[in-house]
Amino acid sequence: MGAWRHFPILMIAIPLLGAVLLPFLGYVRENWVPYAAALPLGASSLLGLLLIGRIPSDGYLSYHMGGWEPPFGIEIRVDYAGFFVMLVVCGITMLSLLYSRRYISREVSPGRRTAYYVLFLLMSAAMIGFVATGDIFNLFVFMEILALSSYALVAITGNRNAVRAAFKYLLMGAPSSIMVLLAIGLLYSATGTLNMADLSARIAESGYTEVLTVSYILFVIGFGVKAALFPLHMWLPDAHSIAPSPISALLSGLLVEVCTFALLRITFSVFTREATALVGGTAEAVGVAAAAAVLYGGIMAILQKDLKMMIAYSTISHIGYIFLGLTAFTAEGLTGAMYHMLDHGLAKACLFLCAGNFIYVKGYRRIEDLRGAWREMPWTCFAFAVASISVIAIPPTAGFISKWYLILGNVKAGKWLYTAVLLTGSILAAVYCLRVIYYMFFQAGGEGKWEDAVRDAPPSMLVPVWLLSLGTLFFGVFSYLLIPSLLKASAYLL
Amino acid sequence: MRLLHNYHYAAAMILFCLGLHTVIVRRNIIKKLIGLNIMETSVFFFYISLGYLKEGIAPIRVGGAEPARMVNPIPQALILTGIVVAVSVTALALSMVILLYRQYGTLDVDRLMREEEKGEAVGGGEV
Repeated sequence: MGAWRHFPILMIAIPLLGAVLLPFLGYVRENWVPYAAALPLGASSLLGLLLIGRIPSDGYLSYHMGGWEPPFGIEIRVDYAGFFVMLVVCGITMLSLLYSRRYISREVSPGRRTAYYVLFLLMSAAMIGFVATGDIFNLFVFMEILALSSYALVAITGNRNAVRAAFKYLLMGAPSSIMVLLAIGLLYSATGTLNMADLSARIAESGYTEVLTVSYILFVIGFGVKAALFPLHMWLPDAHSIAPSPISALLSGLLVEVCTFALLRITFSVFTREATALVGGTAEAVGVAAAAAVLYGGIMAILQKDLKMMIAYSTISHIGYIFLGLTAFTAEGLTGAMYHMLDHGLAKACLFLCAGNFIYVKGYRRIEDLRGAWREMPWTCFAFAVASISVIAIPPTAGFISKWYLILGNVKAGKWLYTAVLLTGSILAAVYCLRVIYYMFFQAGGEGKWEDAVRDAPPSMLVPVWLLSLGTLFFGVFSYLLIPSLLKASAYLL
Repeated sequence: MRLLHNYHYAAAMILFCLGLHTVIVRRNIIKKLIGLNIMETSVFFFYISLGYLKEGIAPIRVGGAEPARMVNPIPQALILTGIVVAVSVTALALSMVILLYRQYGTLDVDRLMREEEKGEAVGGGEV
């Protein structure tokens, strides 16, 4: 038994410990906090990288907390799909943290900066734990840590719009958490266990069909609110566009996806294939909502005047894509959904950080202010263009690969209408992304807009943006590194 | 008959729906938070009633106590965690209510939303 078996729990525990210790450092030396916060996240990313190759694509790594055997103790269960999402979380949180230092020093008042980094670490740890856990009540606990830290992070600047957006988020998020808690209680009452693997075995033989159905519906509504599935998305545009840009990147690039992943976990690891008859009707309904989300998000994004608002609506549309991959119930569809989590995480984080660059350098939020922006901020604009290409799903980027598998999965399942919706989604994405690119590159700047010799954003803000946009290109060109294992992992999940 | 036997589940569900109704319908944000707490309490009640046993004893194996008469301790342990979470959500929400009241001077959701439309007309969430 090698030391690497302990890595998954360490990946969760180190940032949590860092979050506890950081306030003490903040009390003594506030300027060191941004650098110190990178240490625990860097450590867990490193442990994640060391684990590559040790997780089989059709198996899992199980860790028993405190040495208690699974059905009684809490289990950390990392399978290939979960590990993949954990790595995405580590990478994107790390890059947003690097980006945060300059941006936060301007936008957040000095007394709150330490709080920002503490909440940031809590949120990252909670996301990693949320994906890794194999115990359904532990899932709830991590979800609550995640939710509470994200409510607070949206409101961190303390101005009136931010607090209102955060409160709106809380008013939708908190009831949804309670619904998930009730769903867990119903599952427990029907099966008498909390371990996911044990649950999936007992659900098949449990006779309480009605209880299980209600429980699944509550899970879908609960996680649906957190993941901003179409009719439950009202909190998202405000919260994502008003939060500080690195936080928008995390919320939009990771949080909604991690919550989608939780629903994937509940559907495929807890309720499993045998129970498909049980969840079948609900899955159909989710499919309809997801298709509506693709169209609604795309159309609303076209209508927006505020850049971050547009990106937020585009997120609603992309969450629809991921859900359409899940509801196809095929290995290709699931692979597409998981690859889309990677691609959407990279591209959306990049777009939000670019929007953050514009706000940081010039204070521009509206799309029409960006006329002729590329003359002054070429690096930011080119990174924005690359990420947009991935959002539209044009070939050399990861967006194309994930879109391809999503469409393949839906075709194999015989869902032609959803295939058409996915293709329409791309057209809508092309409209809203190319409009911004057109303003940036092909329009002359307005009077006095870009004259006072501004140069591009500082390097500590450009490097994360470029790493993210190059990431979308890298995973588009070298998709063969991941796709076969993901296909196997999806077949294992099914 | 089954429903009569399991009347506590029905009570929990009624409380849950009342709480959800309060959260959705009431315009005052403090009342919305009270509704949230009613929802939470109903779920706690549901959990605790899962483990309840008539004339049950504490789950401690001393002096040959028979396991069949013991109360299930797991839901209680879970709900301890649940209560901690609920308290922190309520605390955070109330602190936000204080901030909102200071900056807008109202607790009415409709008025807050109207302010939002006005805010958007002059250029959205300025920082």
